[in-house]
Amino acid sequence: MKKILLWLTLFMLVMGLLAGCSNSNGEGAEPRKTKDGKIIVDFWTFWGSETRRPIIEKIVDDYNASQDKVFIKHTFLPWGDIWTKNLAAIAAGNPPDVIINDINSVSHRAKNNQAENLSKYINNADFKNKFYPELWKTVEYEGDPYAVPFNTDTRLLFYNKKAFKEAGLDPNKPPETWEELEAYAKKLDKKDGGKYERIGFYPLWGSFGPESWMMNADNGEGYIDKDGDVAIATKEKVKALNWIKSWNDRIGNENINAYKADFGSEQSNPFIAGKVAMMIDVGTFYTQIRDYGKDMDFGVAPIPAVSKNEKNWSQGGGFVAEIPKGSKNPDEAWKFIEYLTDTEAQTYWATENFDNVANIKAAEKAQSLLEGKDKEVYGATVKNMEVTKLHPVPVNAPDYQSKINPTIDAVLLGERKAEEALKEAEKSVKQSIDQ
Amino acid sequence: MSTGAIPFYQKKFFRKLIKKSLVSLILFAGSLVILSPIIWMISTSLKTPEEIAQFPPSFLPDQFRWSNYIEAWSTAPFTRWAMNTSFITFFVVIGSVLVNSLVAYGFAKIRFRGKNILFLIVLSSMLIPGFVLLIPQYMLFSNLGWVNTYLPLIVPAFLGNAFFIFLLRQFFMTLPNEMIEAAKIDGANHFQIWWKIAMPLMKPAVITIAILSFNGAWNDFLGPLLYINDEKLYTLQIGLQTFKGTVQTQWHYLMAASVMVLLPIVLIFFFFQKYFIEGSNITSGTKG
Amino acid sequence: MPPLFKYEGGFEMETVYANKKKKKISKKSQKVKAKNRHMIRSLRLREELSGYLFIAPWIIGFLFLMLGPLLFSLYTSFTNYNITSEMEFIGLENYKRMFTADQLFWTSLWNTLYYVLFSVPVTTAGAILLAVLLNQRVPGMKWYRTLYYLPAVLSGVAVYLLWMQLLSPSTGLVNTALSWFGIKGPAWLFNPDWTKPALILMKLWSVGGGMLLYLASLQGVPKTMYEAADIDGAGSLQKFFYITIPMITPVIFFDVVTSLIGGFQIFQEAYVMTENGDGGPINSLLFYNLHMWNNAFEMFNMGYASSMAWVLFVIVMILTVLNLKLGKKWVYYDGGDEK
Repeated sequence: MKKILLWLTLFMLVMGLLAGCSNSNGEGAEPRKTKDGKIIVDFWTFWGSETRRPIIEKIVDDYNASQDKVFIKHTFLPWGDIWTKNLAAIAAGNPPDVIINDINSVSHRAKNNQAENLSKYINNADFKNKFYPELWKTVEYEGDPYAVPFNTDTRLLFYNKKAFKEAGLDPNKPPETWEELEAYAKKLDKKDGGKYERIGFYPLWGSFGPESWMMNADNGEGYIDKDGDVAIATKEKVKALNWIKSWNDRIGNENINAYKADFGSEQSNPFIAGKVAMMIDVGTFYTQIRDYGKDMDFGVAPIPAVSKNEKNWSQGGGFVAEIPKGSKNPDEAWKFIEYLTDTEAQTYWATENFDNVANIKAAEKAQSLLEGKDKEVYGATVKNMEVTKLHPVPVNAPDYQSKINPTIDAVLLGERKAEEALKEAEKSVKQSIDQ
Repeated sequence: MSTGAIPFYQKKFFRKLIKKSLVSLILFAGSLVILSPIIWMISTSLKTPEEIAQFPPSFLPDQFRWSNYIEAWSTAPFTRWAMNTSFITFFVVIGSVLVNSLVAYGFAKIRFRGKNILFLIVLSSMLIPGFVLLIPQYMLFSNLGWVNTYLPLIVPAFLGNAFFIFLLRQFFMTLPNEMIEAAKIDGANHFQIWWKIAMPLMKPAVITIAILSFNGAWNDFLGPLLYINDEKLYTLQIGLQTFKGTVQTQWHYLMAASVMVLLPIVLIFFFFQKYFIEGSNITSGTKG
Repeated sequence: MPPLFKYEGGFEMETVYANKKKKKISKKSQKVKAKNRHMIRSLRLREELSGYLFIAPWIIGFLFLMLGPLLFSLYTSFTNYNITSEMEFIGLENYKRMFTADQLFWTSLWNTLYYVLFSVPVTTAGAILLAVLLNQRVPGMKWYRTLYYLPAVLSGVAVYLLWMQLLSPSTGLVNTALSWFGIKGPAWLFNPDWTKPALILMKLWSVGGGMLLYLASLQGVPKTMYEAADIDGAGSLQKFFYITIPMITPVIFFDVVTSLIGGFQIFQEAYVMTENGDGGPINSLLFYNLHMWNNAFEMFNMGYASSMAWVLFVIVMILTVLNLKLGKKWVYYDGGDEK
C-alpha cells in the first residue's frame, strides 16, 4: 500500500515537473513578444515544401526587416489539416493572427463567425480595385470583406504538339469548340487492337470536373447562378452532362477506369507520359511539364467553348489571407496582409512560383519579367482570368456538392438519365437552401 | 501409440517435415504479397523525380540514388523532430505499460463494488467517435495552458487507455485465482502481486502493449498537429507532410523519409518479438 | 526470472481458509467470532480500497479528460452548435432531421453496417490463422513475423495510393492474379458494388495488429495440454479446435468487441481514397464517420455531428453489451469466474 502511494506521488511529481517545464512556452493572455520586445504575429500557411517555403519565408523576412515593433512568425501546417486546427484554435480563443485559407468558402466562414470583418480597415475602393473582381466578389459576405485574395488559378487546355503533328493536325491550331475538341480527340486516339495506346482527350481528367463543363456550357453560370438561384437542371447543363456521358460511351468505362487507376497515385501524369494528348489543368501544371517532361513540346489554349458564339469559360480557385476570429493582434495582422497582397510581394510570388496572383498589377508585371515558354504560359493564364469563374460555396447549402455528385456518378455509370438526375439534385439543393 | 508396419509418410518425422514445409511455403508466398508495398516504397525512395514521373513505372530504379535519404533528411530539421518524437514516445510507452497494466489488474483480479459498471464505462468510452471530442478536448487543454507543450500528448498516456486496459484485462483474467490467493497468504499485497507475479507472467501481453503504444505515439499525427504550434517542437509525422505540396509532391524524398521514420518501429518489433517464442508461457514460467 | 512467490499448495487455499474458520468457530467464543467478522470486513475493505487505488489513474483520466468533453458533446447534440459562435438549444431537431430528412445518414449507416458485417469475421479469422502459422517453428520465423506485422504499422496516404494501384481494374496486381485462374476481376474502387469489398480486402492485408495479440495469447496455452492431446492421438485440427481456440477465447472476445467498435468508426481509408472525402462512386464509401466529419468540419454543423455520434454510441453500445452477455457463454477464463 505504501508503495502505491509512493508511485502515485512519483507520478504526480513527474506530471508537475512536465507542467513546470511547459509553462514557459505556454500561451498567456498578453500578446506574446520576442526577446527584443516585438509583438509576435502568428502566420499559418501550408507552404512547407522545398519549393514554396523559401518564397513565402523571403516575403516574411523582407517584411520583418522593415518592422521594428512587429515580428511575423511563419508556421507551416499540413494541407487540409491546417484548417481543422484553425477551427479548434478559434473555438478555444487562441487562433493565429493571419491564415491562408480557401477562397471559395470565405462567406461560409464569415457566416459562421470564423473570420474578422475587415471593412474597418478598407475604407476606399482603391484597395478593392487592386484585385480581380471575380476574386473580390468571393471574399464579401453581406457586403463586407472578410479576407483578401492572395493567389488564384485558372484552367487551360494543355496539348501535346508532337502528337498533333503525328495525327496530321496543325500544332498551332488548338481546338476552339467542343465539336473541334471531339474531332481532334478522335484523330489523336491511338489504338492497338482493343487497347488504347493513347487517348486523345477525356473531359474529366485533369482538373475540370462536371460542374466546370456545365458552367462552360451554360454561359459561365455555375450550379448557383449570379442571382443566387439554384440552376442545376438547366437545358445547357443537361446537354453538357450528356456530352460527357458520350465520351464515356465512346471510350468505354473500362478503359477510363484503367487509366484513372494507373495515374491515380499522382506520381506520374498521363499527359506528361504521352498517354493522353490533351488535358485541362491549372497554369502551374506547367512547372511539372518543365521539370519532368524532358523538353516536351506542348502548347496551351483557352478551354474550348460550347459553340462558336460562346465564350471560353474557365474555372478558377485560389487562396486568401484572413484574420481568424479572436486574433490577439488584428491591427498588426492587417498591416501584414496589406503587404502580402501588395504589388511587390505578389510579383515576387508570381515570378518564383508561376502561380497566378490576385493583384492585377502584380500579375501583369510578373508577365513582363518572364521570358520564353515561361512567359507564354504565364501570359495565357493572365489573359484567361477574363473568362475565369469561381464557384463559391453557397452559405445556405454548404453541402451542395454531396447532393449533386452522386447523381452525376450514377449518370456517368449509365444508371440514370441526365435530366431526371439533375432535376432531383436541384430539388434537394433547393430544399436545403429553403430550410 | 501405434504398432506394426506403417507407411513412411505416416511416420511422425515425415508428417512434421511435410507440415513444416507447407507452413514455410504458405508464409513465403504470403510474404511476397505483403512485401510488395514495402518494395515499392523503397524503390521509389531511390529513384530520381524524373524517373518517378515516368509511365509505366519501373519496378527498380535505373540508378540507386542513396543521396535521396541524406537530402530528404536535411531539407528540414528532421534530427530535431526525431528527438522530439523519441521524447514523447518514451514517456507514452512508460505510461501506457505501467498504468494500463495496473488498471487492468484492478479490473481483472480485485473484487470491489461497482467494478462491472465501471468496466462498462471503460468500454463505452471507446464507443464515441473521437471527432466530437476533439474540439472540447482542445478547449480543455487550451484552458490549462497546455497548448504548444507535450503535456496533451504525454499526460493522457498516464491516465489509462480503454483499449489497452481491456486487452490487458483479458490477459490478466487468465491468471489462476489460486495463484493470487496463495501469494496473499504468503503476505503479499496486490501491488506486489501485480508487479512480481502478474507482470512477469504476462510478459508477451505487456510487450504487446509496449509495441502498440510505441507505434501509436510514433505515428501519432492528429495530436501533435493540434497541440504543437512551434515548428521546433514538431514531430516526424508532421515533418513528413512538408514533402507534400499543393501542386507537386516530392515522392522520392517523401518515401525516403518515410522509410527512415518506419525503421525504428520495425527494429523495435524485430527485437521484441523474441518474447513471443513458443514455450514462454504460464506453466513453464511458474515451474522454471 | 523466477517468481518470488511459489504457489504450490495454493490450490488448497480454500480448504485452509475453511479450516482456519472451523478452528476458530470451534472455540465458540462470541468475542472471537465478532473479532473475526471484523477482520474479514476489514480485509474486504482493504481489498476494495486497493481495487479503487488500482483503477484510480483511469478514474482520474476519465473525470479529467473524458467526462467533460462527453457531456459537452451530448449537450451540443441538442443545439445548433457551429464550433465558433452559435450554440442555441433546439431540442430534438438534430435527431429528427437525421431520421427523417437526411438521406445520406441512412446511406452512411448502411455502408458502415455492410463493412462491419463482413470485415469483422474475415479479419478475426485471418488474424487467428496468421498467428497460428507464425507460432510454428520454421526457419526464418523472426523475419516472417516482422514482415507480416509491417502492414499494421504502415499506414497513411502511401499505403492507400499503393492499394489504388494494386486494385487497378486492368493492370493491378489483384486482378492480374485473378486472371491466372480465369476470373475476370471487378473494377473495384470504380464500381459502387465493389468499393466496400475492396476496403475489406485492404483491411485483411493489415491483420498484423490482430495477429500480434493472438500471438501473445498463444504463448499462454500450456504446452502440457498439447502433449496430453498427442498421447490421446488427437490430430492437428482437433488440437486447434479443442485446445487452441478455447484457450485464446479471451483475446478473440477482445478482438471481436474492439474490431466491431473500430469497424463502425472506419474513416481514414474512405477519406483518403475518395476524392476530397466525398464518399466515392454514388456515395458507396460514404461511411458513418465520414458523413459525420463532413458535417462537423466542412459544414460546421457540429451540433448535428454530435447527435450522429450519440446515435452511433447507442447502436454500438447495444451491440457491445450483447457481446458481453454472449461472451459469458463462450469465453473461457483460465483464472476462474469473473465476479
